[in-house]
Amino acid sequence: MAESPSTSSWPSSERAGKILQFAPFQSLVEDGFWRRLSSLKLDTLGIDQSPIPIIGFYAPCSHAQVSNHMTLLAESLPHDPTMWSSPSEMTRGNRNRCPVPGILYNTNTLESFHALDRESLLKMEAKKILEDICSGKVEEDSALLSRFLVISFADLKKWSFRYWFAFPALVLDPPATLLNLQPALEALNLEEVESLSAACNEWRNSSSTADVPFFLVSFTSSSHATVRPLKDWEACQVDGQKLLFGFYDPCHLPNNPGWPLRNFLAFISSRWNIEKVHFLCYREKHGLADLGLSLVGEALVSPPQAWRDPQCIPKAVGWELKRGKLASRTINLADSMDPERLAVSAA
Amino acid sequence: MVLSQKLHEAFKGTVERITGPRTVSAFKEKGVLSVSEFVLAGDNLVSKCPTWSWEAGEPNKRKSYLPADKQYLITRNVPCLRRAISVEEEYEAAGGEVLLDNDDNDGWLATHGKPKETKHDEEDNLPSMDTLEISKGQAIRSIPSYFGGEEEEDIPDMADFEGSDNLVENDPATLQPAYFVAHEPEDDNILRTRTYDVSITYDKYYQTPRVWLTGYDESRMPLQPELVLEDVSQDHAHKTVTIEDHPHLPGKHASVHPCRHGAVMKKIIDVLMSRGVEPEVDKYLFLFLKFMASVIPTIEYDYTMDFDLGSSSHC
Repeated sequence: MAESPSTSSWPSSERAGKILQFAPFQSLVEDGFWRRLSSLKLDTLGIDQSPIPIIGFYAPCSHAQVSNHMTLLAESLPHDPTMWSSPSEMTRGNRNRCPVPGILYNTNTLESFHALDRESLLKMEAKKILEDICSGKVEEDSALLSRFLVISFADLKKWSFRYWFAFPALVLDPPATLLNLQPALEALNLEEVESLSAACNEWRNSSSTADVPFFLVSFTSSSHATVRPLKDWEACQVDGQKLLFGFYDPCHLPNNPGWPLRNFLAFISSRWNIEKVHFLCYREKHGLADLGLSLVGEALVSPPQAWRDPQCIPKAVGWELKRGKLASRTINLADSMDPERLAVSAA
Repeated sequence: MVLSQKLHEAFKGTVERITGPRTVSAFKEKGVLSVSEFVLAGDNLVSKCPTWSWEAGEPNKRKSYLPADKQYLITRNVPCLRRAISVEEEYEAAGGEVLLDNDDNDGWLATHGKPKETKHDEEDNLPSMDTLEISKGQAIRSIPSYFGGEEEEDIPDMADFEGSDNLVENDPATLQPAYFVAHEPEDDNILRTRTYDVSITYDKYYQTPRVWLTGYDESRMPLQPELVLEDVSQDHAHKTVTIEDHPHLPGKHASVHPCRHGAVMKKIIDVLMSRGVEPEVDKYLFLFLKFMASVIPTIEYDYTMDFDLGSSSHC
């Protein structure tokens, strides 16, 4: 496959690479989410176990010491079930909460929670991601790449909620090879750094783009950076222009990109036939672009041939670990939700 | 919650219902904010410190006197790397001046080079701090019990470990969890990172902003409000930080009680004016958040420090 012209102006990295490893997404659920789920269950859903569309929120890493999380808030669940067909319209994002579509399987019993076929649920979501990549939908709504799922059992008698997140990642075989990864401050020249900071801050400050987590950065030969939406890829194919594939990186680690890059690489390589991808892990400090924390990397990617088959069910990973083990989490809100306990503590 | 505190909350709620919001500015005279000044100061905070956002909150808790999309301010996922209690111990151990207040004086602490004269001549019409004191019986749990007892109800379930065909452990491109803790201290005496969601609401009764804390442990599970008190300056943990219903979010949250906010802000404003700086009301929240940092010194939320505070500025 011919190398895309957009990559030819980068200095080539010939040294042997290693497997690119991604830091998994981490989940965080606010109390309000479980409260709204409880009232939905009691008032509306009853014993209906149909999957519920939900919205997760995340933002780029904004502190050098902590990663950002995929967060579920009360607003992650629809107030009005009649609006479930278009959940994205209900929930507006902003620069600190980029909406990501998810799906919730809430079961009525602990037994049915355990009986869920987690492998096929994960594959089902991964297949949706691959379909959105192949159809070009991702270019219009890039957050589709980070689609996620949650399984849960809400024990409304004990105010206890068992749940498990999965962040489906399409598995590349062989895995992506990392050729180079360094702080953006070192990977780019001074003019590029200044121009990129300004362009990213502008992107993040505009209400129409602030919550768009995947984007393109093109550099002119005079080091001027422009941040553009994914659908502008064709327009970026100008000789002599360097191109970076940027994404909001929730991860803070200096030597690893965060999870959203996985499906982004799958998308870039299969949609645009690019084998050598230059990417930007965009991170912030005090709400502004921090190119010391942000990373620029280079990876070799080859998408599996099987993905070309429209019926393909891609291999996927992504169930969240709990303390290093593959296990669900439980949160007990009896102290703050149980009317009896509340009455006792108020006495 | 002690009875006197509840009575006070009921009284405050009634007054809030029957009185209109402040519309006339008393920023310099009393250190308080009108509703429109709160929105103005909030807009300025969001623009200078973009980690803060306005939120609409629960629709059924919306306050009609605030714009629907600007009900309160929030910054999420703020790291808190050390417990305030351990910082104070270190400070004492190092022979530093202990910034604890004496018992017969409930004035605010003023650290970070702020004027120390805030201790005396407090206005007598402020509610007594005694009515706001949280129960002393809620002793802060020791660190080991916090780590050990966290998941008492979460009995390991073997069913979770079945079906290992999609174990991420088998995927070479997944960063293994060991990497996450590699740079974390192994020593159990050192606490790992907690994170906080810090929100600012407008308190109609006291006519000042009010700070609320929602904490998460290093496994991203919610912290009990009592554990949040470990991250509050210990002098305030038993005095001015209370656990109450959040006006816009569900559940109980720790909050820095606003009964003295106006008085302290007035003093800060007076000091600035005595230095020839004319404070501007849209900078109120920067001053306020700097003042809050003396209460929650280890929660690293953003508030710009290096700018001019008043009209002597060039902007």
